[in-house]
Amino acid sequence: MSQGSMILKLISLPISIILICLGVMTILGGHITPGGGFQGGAMIASGIILSILVYGLGNSPLELSHLYIEVLESVGALGFIIFGLIGLFVGGFFLYNAGTDLLNVVPSAIQNVLHYPDVTNAGIIPYLNIFVGLKVFVGLSSIVIAFAGFKKIVEESE
Amino acid sequence: MMLSLGPIIFGLILGLVIGSQIKLNVSDAHFTLGAFVIVLIAGIIVAWQSGNYPFYTDLPVSTAFLSALIGIFVGKLIFARSK
Repeated sequence: MSQGSMILKLISLPISIILICLGVMTILGGHITPGGGFQGGAMIASGIILSILVYGLGNSPLELSHLYIEVLESVGALGFIIFGLIGLFVGGFFLYNAGTDLLNVVPSAIQNVLHYPDVTNAGIIPYLNIFVGLKVFVGLSSIVIAFAGFKKIVEESE
Repeated sequence: MMLSLGPIIFGLILGLVIGSQIKLNVSDAHFTLGAFVIVLIAGIIVAWQSGNYPFYTDLPVSTAFLSALIGIFVGKLIFARSK
């Protein structure tokens, strides 16, 4: 089901790699610049989708396996919930920012572990962005992979 | 100068996770080592033009972008399997 010409096939993988890097940059700047987990995850997924559209499903150099999608989707959801529960047990509220600790209720050892290492005082917000980004990236990619798979089945049955 | 480790570490991790899925032997477009060197140079130019995040004064290039690019290449070299 490959549709792309040779020029498209030569340029798509490099553009996909650059798009994925821009998506990672958007995810990791979510606490300090416009963007965040959803937007960055959608940009990474756009890199995967470009590759699948040009090379075709089953022939794409950037194609995600079922197990990979399953694991990353679960890690994204579980990580978000776990960080929320840490805030609940340590600070008293679900998703309480235990890395910044505005209410001064978190022990300093836990606060140091959960503090994102950069010049801002963002706490757990970048980690939540990363988990949301992983989930959105595999979620949007899996939708397009499923559509491409359905199209392949229809084409083969005709 | 205070080096911000967050974007470097997590950019590398995200790049490794995504780069592990690149498989070059399935496509009929042949990508050689030279193609990836060109991608690396283009990525460095993009990172330079993007600049770092606001308040990050460690390097004039986007460390998250560069570390993601390096992570993708390292992930492709170490973890990627042929189909």
